[in-house]
Amino acid sequence: MGELEFQTNVSNHFCIVTHWQDAGRVNEPGFGGLERHDGPSAARDLACRTEDGQYRFNKGQTNLQRGWMMVLESGEDLRQALDQFYPAGVGVFLAHRNDTLEVENLRDKLQRQSGMYRLADKISDAGAQQLIRKICGPNHACARRILWQIDAHTPLDDSEASRFSGIPAPLAENEAIPLLCREACNFFVEECRKAAQEEMLDLNHPNTRASDRAGLRGL
Amino acid sequence: MPIAPKPHSALLIVGHGSTGNPDSSAPCFEHADAIRRRGLFAEVHCCFWKEEPSLREAFYMIDSGEVYVVPDFISEGYFTQDVIPRELQLTGPSTIIRGKTFHYCLPVGSHPSMTRLILRRAREVAPDADPAQTTLIITGHGTHLNRNSAQAIRDQVSRIAASGAGYAAVLDAYMEEPPFIAGWDLMAPTPQVIVVPFFIADGLHSYQDIPVLLGIEKEPGAAASQRDIFRHNPHHLRDKLLYYSSAIGTERLLADVILDQVADFDRMHKSALT
Repeated sequence: MGELEFQTNVSNHFCIVTHWQDAGRVNEPGFGGLERHDGPSAARDLACRTEDGQYRFNKGQTNLQRGWMMVLESGEDLRQALDQFYPAGVGVFLAHRNDTLEVENLRDKLQRQSGMYRLADKISDAGAQQLIRKICGPNHACARRILWQIDAHTPLDDSEASRFSGIPAPLAENEAIPLLCREACNFFVEECRKAAQEEMLDLNHPNTRASDRAGLRGL
Repeated sequence: MPIAPKPHSALLIVGHGSTGNPDSSAPCFEHADAIRRRGLFAEVHCCFWKEEPSLREAFYMIDSGEVYVVPDFISEGYFTQDVIPRELQLTGPSTIIRGKTFHYCLPVGSHPSMTRLILRRAREVAPDADPAQTTLIITGHGTHLNRNSAQAIRDQVSRIAASGAGYAAVLDAYMEEPPFIAGWDLMAPTPQVIVVPFFIADGLHSYQDIPVLLGIEKEPGAAASQRDIFRHNPHHLRDKLLYYSSAIGTERLLADVILDQVADFDRMHKSALT
């Protein structure tokens, strides 16, 4: 799941979780020097910062730190750990599989913003499509598969980001739990706000909506 | 107040969160861990307006059919009255959403038991200060946009003044409305002053802005989690001894206040049903 790999039946433990690129080290003497954590309590700290100490507010980023292993002894502990590494990731996956997931399109998300973020909904559809190409997907360090559209009638343009499976490790779809993006993240909302501001300040910007352009001319 | 175990219910703690640093949500997670360790609920989760999981995603983390929602906010206001009900699709004290019953509790900051936490924090930060020679100032943001946040502080001031704690004076002060915290030395009649920030987390205001207004720092420092040096008390400033505590929301007993709000919800809304 995401950048995590689970291994069962290792040294009689229920499950050992590592960064997928460290999975092989579990079978080396001394666990290959991995720092051992028993139980799920360290998951939040591990998920919170990159190796160089940067805050990972978007947990879907493909910069999960390496060099650790987590030993878990029950399914409950595993679920708790996963909910720290990828908040709500398991539940969203299960709901999607059962066809009960309510996906939230971008316009719905932007229209519910408040304060300074209310401006975000002013972004044009073309501007939003550009942003997806610019900041989403594995080429921009996000491991999530986007489920939402711009609105009910406007699907995402075809791109590496819109096509991505949500599985960053080299695994088949039936071997992994994909990370799913049911609503645009707050980073995307923030970028929408900035882009909308640029569009509105530039009357000649190709993405500025005709109605906004007329309104700005009237100021 | 002790709370009866709820082995078939979930607790959902709702915080603001931040896209800039983990300090805003850290107390939420710590309170959730503390409550989880007590084994009172089948599940304990957090969700946030500006962090993951979002309020809408939280629904998918919960397996239980009954959910108590407690806002980790300092007062009633825009977030507790507009944002949280809208995002969680709550329509009243109890709402059934796709087969789950959500009970919406009041925010932690409005509970009377916060008074106990403020007094405890004041004693911790200044254990040797004689209350009779000490002014206790509770400080908050203060803004014309939300009168409730200042009212929550004024309520605490009244309760502490009536509590018999023995402080020479108990005052409220704010960053952006009078009485201004920057004038703490002029409003305090005693040689010793304790300032307790009435915020949910150590973030921009309590750890960076207010220390500058108090005169402890010359310019805003780094976020709490990035600082190496603990702010040492007391500070000899403006001919007084000043003790400055971290935000009240970081107090570990806030977990008890969360449970108090659940117990209060049951008493107010469920007793009629039983």
